Amino acid sequence: MQLPSSLLESAVNEFSKLPGIGKKTALRLVLHLLKQEVGEVQQFGDIITRMRRDIQFCQRCFNISDAKICSICANRLRNQRQICVVENIRDVIALETTQQFSGTYHVLGGIISPLDGIGPDQLNIESLVHRIGEEQTEELIFALNPNIQGDTTIYYIQKKIKHLPCKVTTIARGIAFGGELEYADELTLGRSLANRLPVDSYISNR
Amino acid sequence: MFGFRHIVLTQFRNYLYQSFSFTERIVGISGENGSGKTNLLDAVYYLCFTRSYFSRTDAQNVHHGQQGMRLEAQLLKNDEAGKLVCIVRENNKKEFYANDEEYKKFSDHIGLYPAVMIAPDDTELITGGSEDRRKMIDTLLSQIYPGYLQQLIAYNKILQQRNSLLKAAAEHKRLDTSLLEILDMQLCERGDVIYQWRKTFAAEFIPLVQQQYISIAGKDDQVQLTYDSQLHNASMAELLQQNRQRDMYLARTGAGIHKDDIDMHMNGLVFKNIASQGQRKSLLFALKLSEFLTLKQQKGFTPVLLLDDVFEKLDAGRMHNLLHRVCVEEQGQVFITDTHNERLEKAFIDLAVPYQLVQL
Repeated sequence: MQLPSSLLESAVNEFSKLPGIGKKTALRLVLHLLKQEVGEVQQFGDIITRMRRDIQFCQRCFNISDAKICSICANRLRNQRQICVVENIRDVIALETTQQFSGTYHVLGGIISPLDGIGPDQLNIESLVHRIGEEQTEELIFALNPNIQGDTTIYYIQKKIKHLPCKVTTIARGIAFGGELEYADELTLGRSLANRLPVDSYISNR
Repeated sequence: MFGFRHIVLTQFRNYLYQSFSFTERIVGISGENGSGKTNLLDAVYYLCFTRSYFSRTDAQNVHHGQQGMRLEAQLLKNDEAGKLVCIVRENNKKEFYANDEEYKKFSDHIGLYPAVMIAPDDTELITGGSEDRRKMIDTLLSQIYPGYLQQLIAYNKILQQRNSLLKAAAEHKRLDTSLLEILDMQLCERGDVIYQWRKTFAAEFIPLVQQQYISIAGKDDQVQLTYDSQLHNASMAELLQQNRQRDMYLARTGAGIHKDDIDMHMNGLVFKNIASQGQRKSLLFALKLSEFLTLKQQKGFTPVLLLDDVFEKLDAGRMHNLLHRVCVEEQGQVFITDTHNERLEKAFIDLAVPYQLVQL
């Protein structure tokens, strides 16, 4: 792509490093910024710089945070003795959107998979074990993807904390809302049947 | 009855675009070397198994110089019309549709449209390493037992994870034993189930093969087959425990169902070392025919039989016997390829069955 200005070119190059952005989209974004007032673009740049510079990871749960402790951990109204273990920050956002969980989180930062070079040492597992002992956690809820690596991670952590008096649970696996039984795969359907629920608790859960 | 009625090949192997209609139950395909006989059979096989019979990547199945390919077939199963479509996109991403519904997992397709292929290179089954025999048994069991393939895929994934862990441990001189124990536990769970399946299956399959051998060879050569597994004497957990030091040293997993085999003996000696060419071929056909019969019995209908270049393999008498068994006594669809059109035609006339000849 031939560009008339090296300033423009380097801006385009930076934008095109972003995921899902190609050279043409990058150019469109840059030209859009060029049409804005200088002050506005300045503010845009400042916000991005500040976001990257000032954002922290919660020392307790490794969620993103503005302070040393994130807003979820700092909220005294939440059940501090309940920890939900998730793979990454996107899972925290997904679970928070449900508004069904009022405990705290622990972000592992990945999942155990030696094939991808990720062992327990690369994840926030040590800190989780430490945290459960320290905080007298009553329940650990695993909200990990239902696959083999997810299971490996669950078993591994469970083994590490078996000396602690903490209840370990995992999110239910079964028929999706709005899903139809005849289209559900046998594994899911079989599991939902094995772990069926009393109608009372099903209805009270809405 | 289960059979293919119409097939369209687009940029598959040596076909740019071609369609074939199959009107009879017995289909003979003739043509010179390199005209695409085997590729046509492989297209049928591909639609039954979502992959080629030959160990090729999907990119290699695309017509040379083109990008992407498509296979489509109209078929009849239990008197109902069906449609199978496989598309490999330009980026080698594969999509598979049965009756216009896309599969999320290809493994769901295996077993719905059973087929048995006999190809020239199959003598590897007898003379080659244990991997070929395991592959044959796994292909068959995946079609018979729902869930077998899922367990096997899971087993192989965990095995890869375990081997990676062992390799990383050898490099860093430090092993996370509790992670190894978790992986062992997950491996055992699948390994023991797969072993039970294979054991139950072997108990029925092996006598069937021996019986088929006698009927094809016309005499009893004292051929003995046995299912060999390290799990005969110890559970998967015990094996992993016993082999741990060695596994750590070699950085791979030395024991388990991925080492299973079918041992073949004749008069107490190793079959492949002493058997003649004819005896090898008889055993190969016995294996394949048993696969065919097992599928038929389990599925309640006859699988499609794909015979590639079989005329080169057996003498005229045995060939006639074999064809009589699969074409006349059985009611399934049979595809047979040969380089000689006349030889095919004569064989069919001898059998006195309605047939169709496709000349490439």
